[in-house]
Amino acid sequence: MGATRGRSVGGVGGGREAEAAEVAEVAAGAEVAGEAGMAKSSGENGPRAPAAAGSLSGTRENLAQGPDAATADELSSLGSDSEANGFVEHRIDKFGFIVGSQGAEDSLEEVPLEVLRQRESKWLDMLNNWDKWMAKKHKKIRLRCQKGIPPSLRGRAWQYLSGGKVKLQQNPGKFDELDMSPGDPKWLDVIERDLHRQFPFHEMFVSRGGHGQQDLFRVLKAYTLYRPEEGYCQAQAPIAAVLLMHMPAEQAFWCLVQICEKYLPGYYSEKLEAIQLDGEILFSLLQKVSPVAHKHLSRQKIDPLLYMTEWFMCAFARTLPWSSVLRVWDMFFCEGVKIIFRVGLVLLKHALGSPEKLKACQGQYETIEQLRSLNPKIMQEAFLVQEVVELPITERQIEREHLIQLRRWQETRGELQCRSPPRLHGAKAILDAEPSLRGALQPSPSIRLPPDVPLPSSKAKPKPPKQAQKEQKRTKASGHLDKLPAPGQATAVTAGGDACAPQDVTLKNPASQDPAPQDSAPQDLAHHCSQESLTSQDSEDTYL
Amino acid sequence: PPRPADFKLQVIIIGSRGVGKTSLMERFTDDTFCEACKSTVGVDFKIKTVELRGKKIRLQIWDTAGQERFNSITSAYYRSAKGIILVYDITKKETFDDLPKWMKMIDKYASEDAELLLVGNKLDCEMDREVSRQQGEKFAQQITGMRFCEASAKDNFNVDEIFLKLVDDILKKMPLDVLRNELSNSILSLQPEPEVPPELPPPRPHVRCC
Repeated sequence: MGATRGRSVGGVGGGREAEAAEVAEVAAGAEVAGEAGMAKSSGENGPRAPAAAGSLSGTRENLAQGPDAATADELSSLGSDSEANGFVEHRIDKFGFIVGSQGAEDSLEEVPLEVLRQRESKWLDMLNNWDKWMAKKHKKIRLRCQKGIPPSLRGRAWQYLSGGKVKLQQNPGKFDELDMSPGDPKWLDVIERDLHRQFPFHEMFVSRGGHGQQDLFRVLKAYTLYRPEEGYCQAQAPIAAVLLMHMPAEQAFWCLVQICEKYLPGYYSEKLEAIQLDGEILFSLLQKVSPVAHKHLSRQKIDPLLYMTEWFMCAFARTLPWSSVLRVWDMFFCEGVKIIFRVGLVLLKHALGSPEKLKACQGQYETIEQLRSLNPKIMQEAFLVQEVVELPITERQIEREHLIQLRRWQETRGELQCRSPPRLHGAKAILDAEPSLRGALQPSPSIRLPPDVPLPSSKAKPKPPKQAQKEQKRTKASGHLDKLPAPGQATAVTAGGDACAPQDVTLKNPASQDPAPQDSAPQDLAHHCSQESLTSQDSEDTYL
Repeated sequence: PPRPADFKLQVIIIGSRGVGKTSLMERFTDDTFCEACKSTVGVDFKIKTVELRGKKIRLQIWDTAGQERFNSITSAYYRSAKGIILVYDITKKETFDDLPKWMKMIDKYASEDAELLLVGNKLDCEMDREVSRQQGEKFAQQITGMRFCEASAKDNFNVDEIFLKLVDDILKKMPLDVLRNELSNSILSLQPEPEVPPELPPPRPHVRCC
């Protein structure tokens, strides 16, 4: 399986101890998440099962001292999915994959224990005071995401960063409601056929009809009910599976919703136009990042879709070694699609970016082969993350390129057929755009009301006046202006709301220089074309 | 050193999701079978060199995502294919019922002279059969020049035959000058390939690992 090619797994000698430590860390995560109101009972989900039986006190240190066999036995005796399928004998690595199932293993880059403990306490502090951190020290959060979220808190952090947690709180019982509904048979069949095809060597998903696959079914089915017009796209399954490795089904569902609607809108929709556009954007950006690689790919007439479709649609979950996948996702949840572009660019640059490298791939096939079996060194966690962090590709560049490619698309292929909501560049932009904080669902982004006017709302909670006032300040700070979509224009462009990128996006529609924020529920947004700029420097809203 | 291929051909595998397109390809190219094969996102391809009629042919096999919404991406790869393998699952009636939709895709995007082969896969699941062999045959008969066979990627039954038969049909159809032309126009032929010798010996299919 490509997902974890070259992935590293615990060393021979210390494997069990590493497992033990990981169980302890997961335990801590499960415990914390439990406090936060996890809906699903523990003791059902493979690796999480023994975890829940532990406690926060089960740290790496004291568990690691225990007898070697304890962890492995514990894992199987508590009803993990692998047991049902006769995989009890297999050792499971710290990520839940069957050891040896993923091909070559390189050395683990272990974070020293003391550092990990420090990070955990820092992250706990952040998570417990999330609004303040997001409002005042967003850059610090970004930095810590770049360093890697501690495994014990990763699932929780992803929920906070993506806004999945807020969504869940805004929609209590919604998932259960969707979960109880029978669903459209058309989608059920497709989903069912894909269940056993996601990470079949992960302990959670190894057994047919096991808990992991059941949860995967629930999450994906719920999404088809939540967005019947979108339905199910096969590339959503690996995304949902990665989420389920870190959180229960209900939480995973809301994170999936956020990914599909905020981070990567349109990626999974009918016609797949968004991914095709991003292929063009990626290729264009490559010219800046690595002219050599760009020239080679142009000369070979290799369509970006040939190599980037799976990369982008699965957010590299099927491409990179597992430790790198997690680090990339940590940054992706914080900074948005920019990270996906950067990872793609870094891989292309290092695979094809020099004349020596190109000697080995003179033909189209050799080139694609080179991109399909990437050198493990360039995918290795520390190297890749460093390169991604340093690559000077900003949201602004991506958005500018988006406009260019969109125009080209319209000239050559006409209007987009699927109208997607604007892409939000990461946690901060999502928070700032979060409609519930403004208290209302509006039928259309083009209708504007004073922000403190209470609106009838079906789902969202009413907005406290204090928050409303805050919003008036939004989008002014950077001289950023909201743009109204031209009638019938099916574009959705967001200028980045990330503090790291200076904002000076050229206005395309001077008639709509309205600094008022555009309120709109994502439920409605999906049907509207809108262009929004979302920038905010101040937000002390408490929503948790 | 192995002598370079005489020429190159492109074949595309299409069909509804989960019918075993990737499995057929991997069985043929790598002689492997994965029970839990990951679903294909977008397009993928593999290369295998086969020897047929005394010629060494570098076969490029395009594997496509079966879900309908990927058609917008996969359709671009129909045009250059000299052979099209349309797959359904004999244990899933709906994948057979989808065939007319796939024929529409072929009509719309594929080259008119592409060889067509209909494959009923998963013959190893005879017990769960929902589509009879006759149904498959009948469907193929309605379409000019379409061949039909049943196969099992899992049991490695008829898999090599599928690809070799298709390649053989493609070769038979091609006049030699076209073959030469193919060679020079191939998107894969950046490295010069030797010319095809003037005569073809009698067909003696023989698969050789590349």
